[in-house]
Amino acid sequence: MEKTHRLLSHPDRISTYFKTQVPVLSVVTVSGLIYNIGMAAGPFFEGKLAQCLYDILKGKATFHDMLLLAISYVFVIFVVQLMRAVKRFGVRRFANNISRSMRRALYNSLVHAGQGELEKENLGSLLTKAISDVDACAEGMRKFTTEIFDTGVVMVVYLAMLLHYDWRLTILACLFVPFAYLAAGKLKANVTTANAAYKQSASSLNGLTMDRVGNAVTYRIFGREKERGEAYEKALTDYEHKSAIANLYESALGPLYDAVAMAGAVLILYFGARNVAGTGWTSWNIAAFTTFLACFTKLAVKASHAAKLFNAVQKASVSWKRIQPLMKEPKEDQLQVCSIPVKEASLSFQDVSCGWNTPDMLRHISFSASPGEIIGITGEVASGKTMLGRVLTGEVPYEGKIILGGKEFRQITEEEKLCSITYMGHDPQLLSTTIAGNVALGEPVDVEEAIKAASLEKDLADMHRTKDDLAGTGGSMLSGGQQARLALARAFAHARSILVLDDPFASVDKKTESEILKTMRRKFPDRVVLLISHRLSHFPEFDHVLYLHDGTSTFATHTQMTEREPGYRKLFEGQAASGRQTVDGQKPRDPGMVDAQKPRDPEPAEGLGNGKPGTPGDPVKAKTKTPGDPVKAKTKTPGGQVKGGGCDEK
Amino acid sequence: MKNNTLLKQSLKRTLSKNKLLVAGMALAILASAIAALLPPLVLERAVNLLTLEKAIPLLLALGYFLAILLSDVMESLQNTAITIFGQKITHGIRSTLCEKLSLLPADYFHTHKSGAIASIFTNDGDAIDVLYSDGVVSMLADCLKLVAILAVIFSRSIGLGLLIAVILPLLFFFTRWCRRRMNSAQLDNRRAIAKVNNHVPETLRCLRMIRTFHAEKFMEDSYDESIKESYDAVDRSNFIDSIYSPVILLTQAAVTAVMMVLAAKGAAFRAFFGLSVGSAVAMIAYISQIFSPLENIGMEIQNIQAAAAALQHINEFLGEEEWKPAVEMAGGEGNVEGAESIGIVEKNIAKESILEKAKDNATANTLHDKDLKSKLNAGDVATSDDVNASMDPLTASVETVYSTVMKNRTDAASFYHVTFGYEHGSPVLQDLSFSVKEGENVTFAGRTGAGKTTIFRLLIGLYQPDQGLVLLDGKDPCMLEPKQRRSLYGCVEQDFHIVAGTVGDQVTLYDPYPEEEIRKALAITGMEETIAHLPQGLDTTMDEKLFSKGQLQLLSISRAIISNPKILLLDEITANLDSETEAKVIRALQESAKGRTVISISHRLSESIGRTRVIEIG
Repeated sequence: MEKTHRLLSHPDRISTYFKTQVPVLSVVTVSGLIYNIGMAAGPFFEGKLAQCLYDILKGKATFHDMLLLAISYVFVIFVVQLMRAVKRFGVRRFANNISRSMRRALYNSLVHAGQGELEKENLGSLLTKAISDVDACAEGMRKFTTEIFDTGVVMVVYLAMLLHYDWRLTILACLFVPFAYLAAGKLKANVTTANAAYKQSASSLNGLTMDRVGNAVTYRIFGREKERGEAYEKALTDYEHKSAIANLYESALGPLYDAVAMAGAVLILYFGARNVAGTGWTSWNIAAFTTFLACFTKLAVKASHAAKLFNAVQKASVSWKRIQPLMKEPKEDQLQVCSIPVKEASLSFQDVSCGWNTPDMLRHISFSASPGEIIGITGEVASGKTMLGRVLTGEVPYEGKIILGGKEFRQITEEEKLCSITYMGHDPQLLSTTIAGNVALGEPVDVEEAIKAASLEKDLADMHRTKDDLAGTGGSMLSGGQQARLALARAFAHARSILVLDDPFASVDKKTESEILKTMRRKFPDRVVLLISHRLSHFPEFDHVLYLHDGTSTFATHTQMTEREPGYRKLFEGQAASGRQTVDGQKPRDPGMVDAQKPRDPEPAEGLGNGKPGTPGDPVKAKTKTPGDPVKAKTKTPGGQVKGGGCDEK
Repeated sequence: MKNNTLLKQSLKRTLSKNKLLVAGMALAILASAIAALLPPLVLERAVNLLTLEKAIPLLLALGYFLAILLSDVMESLQNTAITIFGQKITHGIRSTLCEKLSLLPADYFHTHKSGAIASIFTNDGDAIDVLYSDGVVSMLADCLKLVAILAVIFSRSIGLGLLIAVILPLLFFFTRWCRRRMNSAQLDNRRAIAKVNNHVPETLRCLRMIRTFHAEKFMEDSYDESIKESYDAVDRSNFIDSIYSPVILLTQAAVTAVMMVLAAKGAAFRAFFGLSVGSAVAMIAYISQIFSPLENIGMEIQNIQAAAAALQHINEFLGEEEWKPAVEMAGGEGNVEGAESIGIVEKNIAKESILEKAKDNATANTLHDKDLKSKLNAGDVATSDDVNASMDPLTASVETVYSTVMKNRTDAASFYHVTFGYEHGSPVLQDLSFSVKEGENVTFAGRTGAGKTTIFRLLIGLYQPDQGLVLLDGKDPCMLEPKQRRSLYGCVEQDFHIVAGTVGDQVTLYDPYPEEEIRKALAITGMEETIAHLPQGLDTTMDEKLFSKGQLQLLSISRAIISNPKILLLDEITANLDSETEAKVIRALQESAKGRTVISISHRLSESIGRTRVIEIG
């Protein structure tokens, strides 16, 4: 087993998968053939053993003959069963290999699909579905391979053996087998209907369960609980009946197959005895008789399973048809960004317009930044800060000129872009792997230093965690602030010449923010940093500020900006005056995190938290606004007197 | 333990209700075990006849066929009976679970996810089915089969019987070992598969990061790593799976060989292993039969173990504390009249002092209760002031409240010194009092978390106040009969809860209203036409996609008013409605509010209904 599976070319051809599995398949073929031919050895030897016992009792054979026969019997069975084990294991491995290759191929097209492509054709959900189809497909291919041997080959072997012993009796006995099929076919229609009814009932019961549980409060409010309970009971009874009927049909199928097929056994017993007595078509000994009977029994059972072969093929082909169109030629590139040295580069926007779909939401954006500069970008909510950042990830169409390292942005290759821009979105997009894994993303970068630079080191120590612990799904093992800083550490570890950081400090306290900024200046004296933020406390230290407003922008130093833009001044002074953290500071972002610490009730006790619980003199006020109607609750109940019994004692 | 008894009761009930089935099942199991013994016995006869060089009569040949058929049929019958039995048991448990739903406090539904509760019904219910059908009962059946075959073998050859009796435990332990190994491998596999499955949505979620950091290769490699993990686990399980059956078959062959050799050994062993040729053939057949029940037992033990967790979930759920709003002193009537109401006031407002007082002065208390009752029955509320005068000051305060309660008995809704919190020690509402007159239009205002929704929950009796008294139309809302609820109040909930069923059911909630009334309720909200355009009108199967969010709100209003309630409660509507839909909702509310008391916490909407009194909360 190679460590990572290689990608196959032509993943859209089923033969591709069989071709790569030739070694496994040849082992399966050899062992399968030996096993299935050897299957006849069991009945053959058992007949011989009985015959030998007969001969000994008659004085025609010796104990030695029996010993020899018994030893060879066990040996042959050992070989046959060994082959069986090899075949079983081989077939399963074959299926697993195929499933792995198919998953790889599908995942490759998923991970290399562009964002737009995924959204447009609903490709994301299609691929997700296809990946879940892979197992069905591989399972179908496994069953097909298995059944070829276990049904196909075995039936041929048994039939050949039977014909060898007595061809007339074989034909006679097998006459009944087709009847088994006919009868089963008739019954099968019923089985299918009963099964469909059962499934229908099961799904309606499921729906009713969800309904009863999910709407429990609604039903209580409207006083309908009892009636819904009765309806549920009815559904339960229906489900029970349907399942009983379906089960009855299904279980009737087995005996029917066997019964009709085994009708041949009557003939075998009758005519076979005549063969032994020497009055039949051929002359048999007891060995031949028992072998023939045992073989026929096994054949009858196998014959009833023959339909499985076709079912397996059909199922596999259905899932394959769904998967096939999504199988694309694998994309691979060997670019390793971190092995390419960072080149200093300056960035300038010259009269750029941009917008999510058409470049019309922001206009006349102009600014420039040289290596070593930090540009603070801010603006009111929904002023287009994030969008401006995404221009540099290529997701937002623009007009005008963007010059990066002396070249027009449009003319720069994807590879060059990857080597010059590092983007950190305000959504941390963390993986469920380890903390270190999130930072390194499989590349040889200095994880520890990045974690230190993002001031995450102490957090980890406080939580008694190391960088090798898991971050949880979407970073759920970390708080919102820690998630953001982990994303920042990742950006630091992979920093190229231009760093675009979208709101990296939203959930970070001020002291940590200052620390990180200081480290950043020291660590990246030669990079351009575009820092998008709505928190302006550090903007005075930045080299320039780009203030987005009214669909356009102003570019100046902080001091100039406060003089020129009253909007900016208001934002800045407002924050400076409140001196408080922004509201979203403490909120954990991840839904999993929210779940874990979910407040017990949709209406948490915060109403009282601020209202000083247990202050008797300040009860929740109940005043009215309608004039002419005095404060009713107060006037009518002499609260002062009653209070003695109620709240005061707490 | 209480919870255990609930489960046991359910089992007992099911068993006693289905005595016939249980008896039939037992019979089928027994018959199946015996029938399985027959074919080899007939074969023995046949072969023995052959060794005597006689012909096999057609009747015996037919007998062989019938024996096979019988054993097949019995096996099927047994399986069906066991399946039906399992279904009955689960049915009983699910019924018990559903009954429990109505007994749980509303708080349970506010604090537990509905998916998790439903999974107790579905997944854990199925696990119980498996526990009984494919676990306990099947194990009994297989044990019986094993014993029956062993008995026949012993009757033919004590030596072979002993040989098998020695080998069986060994094979049993081998089976258990294999099962355990496979189980642990499967657990590992499930864990790995969860990772594999999680990887795809994670990729979709982090696609921008993956692209901007050029992490495609990394993601592919870690995907493959997870697949490899699963692959290895499956390999382990496959290995066991591949060797198990061959080992069993090889053992069978070995036992057969040893038996034949010893049978052939001669006089010394004949007493122990002596077999006729016919018996030898029959024994070979039995040997091949005896190991399959053994294999099944191994699986059944695992089924039973796996169901333990499900059993625990069900037990926990059934053991949840039940909602008992019954104010002990108030009796079960739900009407605040006579002695009951003074009881409520005493209990809730001045509990300790009054109770102490009551102890001292038991006779006096009873007297005055009776007194009051008679006065109230006479409809003379005002005279209750006389009673106050005769009481000492402490009791008097209660009496004052009581008299207020009595005076305002005709109010649509009132809170008297209500204190309430979801968790002990952190009240959401404190000493809140207000009163809403009949026909009034009142809105509660206050910031989020001030307790507006809580007031609603108390008003409709989903929760009981920790202290104080809540009255809705002069009644304790917790004590309302389910049937009274809809005629008393209609509630427009925050979100519209779609119920299973047709469009009509959304409005009626399966209450058999005549179609006319349904149409009327829909006409008031302007939904009649929309629904008339549906393919089957009211009988169209409900689907969220049939309606816009605003239309769902309109349906919610129809649902609230179809019963022509006295009071209309409007919770804050969370859905963002466009202005056109909002206009429709407002028109519907204006229509619905006519002649009703309206209590709402959506200021915007209630103002549009007409003159509103605002009660500020928090």
